[in-house]
Amino acid sequence: MKKMMITAMTLAVLALAATAFAHTPLCDCFDNGDGTVSCEGGFSDGSSASGVKMYVKDGSGKVLQEGAMNADSEFNFKKPEGSYTVLFDAGEGHAVEINGADIVE
Amino acid sequence: MSRKNLLVALAGQPNCGKSTVFNMLTGARQHVANYPGVTVEKKTGFFRTDSGRVELVDLPGTYSLSSYSLEERVARDFILQDRPDVIVDVVDASNLKRNLYLTLQLLEMEAPVVLDLNMMDVAERRGISVDHEGLSRHLGIPVVPTVGKAGVGGKDIKRVLDEQAQKEPEKFFVVDYGVMEPHVQKMQSRVVARMQLPESYPSRWVALKLLENDAEVTKLVTADNADADELVREIERLRSEFEQEAGIPAERHIAFARHKACAGICREFMTLPAEKKASLSDRADRYVCSRFFGPLVLLAILFILYEVSIVFGYWVAGEVWPVWGALETFTASILPQPGFLSDPLLFGLGTWVVKSTTAILNYLPIFFLLFALIAILEDSGYMPRMAFILDRLFRRFGLHGQSTLPLILGGVYVGGCAIPGVMATKAIPDERARLATILIVPMMNCLAKVPLYLILIGAYFQDQGGLTMFFIATVTLFMALPVAKVLSLTVLGKQPSAPFIMEMPPYHLPTVSGVLRRAFERIWLFLKKIVTVVIAVAVVVFVLINFPGLSRERMAEYRAKQEAATATFMKAVDKTGYKGEISADDVLPMILFADSLKDAKRGITDREKAAAVNTSFQQANPVYYAVVKRKGADGKKLNKAYKKVVKLRKKLRREMRTERFESSFLGVMGRALEPVTRYAGFNWRINIALLSAFAAKENSAATLGAIYGIDGSGSVQESMKAGEAGFTPLHALALMLFMALYPPCVPTSIMVRMQSGSTKWMVFSIAYQTLLGLAVATLVFTGGTLLGLTGFQAMWAFYALCVGATVVMAFVPDRQPEKVEIRETCKQDC
Repeated sequence: MKKMMITAMTLAVLALAATAFAHTPLCDCFDNGDGTVSCEGGFSDGSSASGVKMYVKDGSGKVLQEGAMNADSEFNFKKPEGSYTVLFDAGEGHAVEINGADIVE
Repeated sequence: MSRKNLLVALAGQPNCGKSTVFNMLTGARQHVANYPGVTVEKKTGFFRTDSGRVELVDLPGTYSLSSYSLEERVARDFILQDRPDVIVDVVDASNLKRNLYLTLQLLEMEAPVVLDLNMMDVAERRGISVDHEGLSRHLGIPVVPTVGKAGVGGKDIKRVLDEQAQKEPEKFFVVDYGVMEPHVQKMQSRVVARMQLPESYPSRWVALKLLENDAEVTKLVTADNADADELVREIERLRSEFEQEAGIPAERHIAFARHKACAGICREFMTLPAEKKASLSDRADRYVCSRFFGPLVLLAILFILYEVSIVFGYWVAGEVWPVWGALETFTASILPQPGFLSDPLLFGLGTWVVKSTTAILNYLPIFFLLFALIAILEDSGYMPRMAFILDRLFRRFGLHGQSTLPLILGGVYVGGCAIPGVMATKAIPDERARLATILIVPMMNCLAKVPLYLILIGAYFQDQGGLTMFFIATVTLFMALPVAKVLSLTVLGKQPSAPFIMEMPPYHLPTVSGVLRRAFERIWLFLKKIVTVVIAVAVVVFVLINFPGLSRERMAEYRAKQEAATATFMKAVDKTGYKGEISADDVLPMILFADSLKDAKRGITDREKAAAVNTSFQQANPVYYAVVKRKGADGKKLNKAYKKVVKLRKKLRREMRTERFESSFLGVMGRALEPVTRYAGFNWRINIALLSAFAAKENSAATLGAIYGIDGSGSVQESMKAGEAGFTPLHALALMLFMALYPPCVPTSIMVRMQSGSTKWMVFSIAYQTLLGLAVATLVFTGGTLLGLTGFQAMWAFYALCVGATVVMAFVPDRQPEKVEIRETCKQDC
C-alpha cells in the first residue's frame, strides 16, 4: 500500500509537468508573393486543424495579428515588415513555430 | 562410418550462456522459425562432428519444465515428441545450484542429457571450483566444462556427442522425494499404468507431474481414455492423501525436494571460496531492491523512460514527419488524379490507406526509443529487479511483477500504445497473470486516446484542464487494477498460475550493438505485424464510411454548383487576354497544378531552391503558373476568380464528405445504437466517432473534427459546444471514461489474439471492455444526473470510488490455494 501511495504521488508530480501528446501537429507556410502569406495546418493522422489558433509575432515576440485556421485548415495573413514568426497553437505540446525567414516565395 | 543425422537439443535456463554455446557449436549459422502453431522462436543450426552431421535445436530458455508458460511447454513438448538423440543442458557453473533445477527435471524425463558446465571462467574468477568428474559419476551423465564466450570446450562437446550417440543411457539420477515416495509409487501403479502413453513418457515423471497437478499431463489422462473420470478422481484422492499427511501442497513439496537435491549436489561437488565477499551487484542490490530505496529508484527510472521515449520521442517524431509526408505526396502523385468533386476510387482508397499507415508510422521514433531503453533495462539486469519490486504489489491484483513493462508500454500514465504493450506480455511466465495483463493493457491511456481527451477538456473543463488531465491519466490504473483482480478471480480462475521465480543476474553494462539489434528486431516485428493489419482495416473502414454514397439527385445538385462556379470563372477569363487560351476544361488541371507546386515547395526554406522549383513549374505551364502565382496584369486579375473556384471546390467537397459520412454504413450504425447509448449520454454523432475509433483510436478526434469542424466558424471544441446544445461537462466526463475503457482498437485486438492464442479471448476482451465502458459511462452520467452533480464533482466522486475499489480488491484474498512461492531474493546464494 505504501508503495502505491508513492506511485500515486509521483504520478501527481508528473501530472504537474504534464504535456499531453497525440498526433504530431503540422504547419506549412507559403509566401504568396503579393504581400500575403498562406499557412496550411493539419495533424499527422489526418485530423483537420480547423479552428486552431494562429499568431503572427514580430521579432520581439509581440503579437501582431491573430486568428484561427479556417474550415479548410488554412490561415492567410499580411506579411509584416521585418522579421516575424508564425505560431500554430493547437494547445500544450501541439505548437509549431515557423520563422518568417524560412517562409519563401 | 555412416550414421543418421543426430538431432541435438540445447536446453538451459536464461542467462546461462546458451546462445554463446549455440554459436560456438554452429559457428552462428542459424535458421530462425517459429515452433509450429506458437509464437515462440525456434533457432536451428547445423554442424559436423567426426562421424556425421548434427542438427542443433535451441530450446527456449526456461527455469523449469512445468507447463506454466508457453516457453516451458514448447521445450517440454519438443523433448517428449521430437525425441532428440541428445540434449545438451547448458548450466552456468558460477550459479550451479539454481541451474541444476532444470537438469534434474531433464533427468526425470529420462532424457539423454549431456551437461555443459558453461561459464567456467566466471566461476573461476569468483573462486568457485567444480569437481566435474565427480558430478558426472553422481548424475550418471557426461559433464563437459566450457567457456562458450571464448569458444573453449566446443570440441569436447562434439566428441561426447559422438560417444553418446553410440550408446543407450544406463541409469538416471533419481531425486528422492522422501515422504512422498510411496505416493509416487501408488500413482505410478494405479494411474499411470492404466494410461495409454507413448513410450517417451517415463512413468515416474508422469506420476510426479500428476501429483504436481500439471495441466498438460492431466489432459493426457482425459484424452482417449474410457475411464478418465475415475482416473481423475483417483489422482485427486492420491494428491489430497499426500497433502493431508504431509501438510504441504504436493507441488510445493516437489519443488522443495528438487531444490534440496540441487543443494546437496552443490555441497558435494562444488567448492566455494573460503571467504565469500559481496560482489558489486550484491552491494548495489542492497539499495536497488530495498524496501525503501527500491521504489524510489524504480520511479526515477520510469520517469527517465517517460521523458526520453515519450517527450523526446515526440519531438523526434515531429522531425521525422516530412519522410512520411513525402510518402503520402508520392502515393498521391502516382495514383489516378483526383476530380473536381469526387475522386477516382483508386485515389481515394490509396491515399486513405497510406494516410492510415503513416498515422502509425509517425509513432515509430517513440517506439524505437522505447524498445531501445527497454533493451538497456533488460541487458543491464534491472528488468528482473523491477519485476521483483513490483511483484508484491501486482500479486494482490492477480498480476505479475513482469506486468510492469506491458503496462508502461500501454501507457500507464499518458502516452503509450496497447500494441507493443500486449506484445510484451509474452515474457510473463504465469499464464493467469499474463492473460489478466493482456486484458487490462488496452485500458491504459494510449497516445491515440489523447486527442479526444484534449477536445473534451478544451470544450468542457477549460478551467480545470490540468486537474482533469491528471484525473483521466491516473484513474485508468485505478480502474484497471480492480478489474484485473476481478478477472483473475472469475474468468481466469481456472488458468494455471506460476510461482514467481526470478533470477537476479549480475548487473552489466549493455553494449550499443546489442541494444540497437534488439530495438531494430522489435521495431521490425511491430511493423510486420501491425502495418499489414492496419492496411486491411483501413480498407474496411474506407468502405464503411464512404458507402453507399450520395444519391444521384444530390450528386446532380453538387454538379450544378460546380458548373455555375466554372461558368463564373470563364466569364472572368473572357475579360482577360487569356480568352480562348483557357477553357473550362483547364480549371481542374490548374488546381492540381497549384497543389503539386505547393507539395514541391513544402519544407523548402531556401530562397534559391524555391525559385528553382518555381522556374521549373513556370516552364512546364506558363499560363497556369501566371494565374496561380499572380504573374502579369492578367494573371493578377484572374487569380481572384481562380481563388473563388478553389474555395468553392473545397467547400463542396467538405459538404459532400459529411453527407456521405452521415449516410454511410457507419453513420447508420451510430444512429441505430442511440437508444442504448442514450443513458451514457452519447448521441448518434458521438456513436459514429466511437465506432470509427474502434478501427484505430486516432480516428475519434478526426471523426469528431469531421462532424463538428464543418462550418469553420471556430475550433472543433467551439463548434462541438455550439452543435451540442444539451451537452454538459457530465456528458463529456462519461465520454472520456468510455474512451478510456473502450475496447482495444482493431490492431490491438489482433495482437490480443496472437498473444492469447485464441479468438475467444480476443472476442472477450472486446466485449467486456465495451460493456464495462458503457456501464461506467452510464453510472457516471445517469448517476451524476440523479445526484445533481456537476461534471467536476462527478469526476472526483468517481475517482474516490475507483481508489476505494482498488484498496478493497488489494485485500480480497486469492481464491486459489496457496501457491508455491519460491522467491529468490536479490542476494544470490550457492
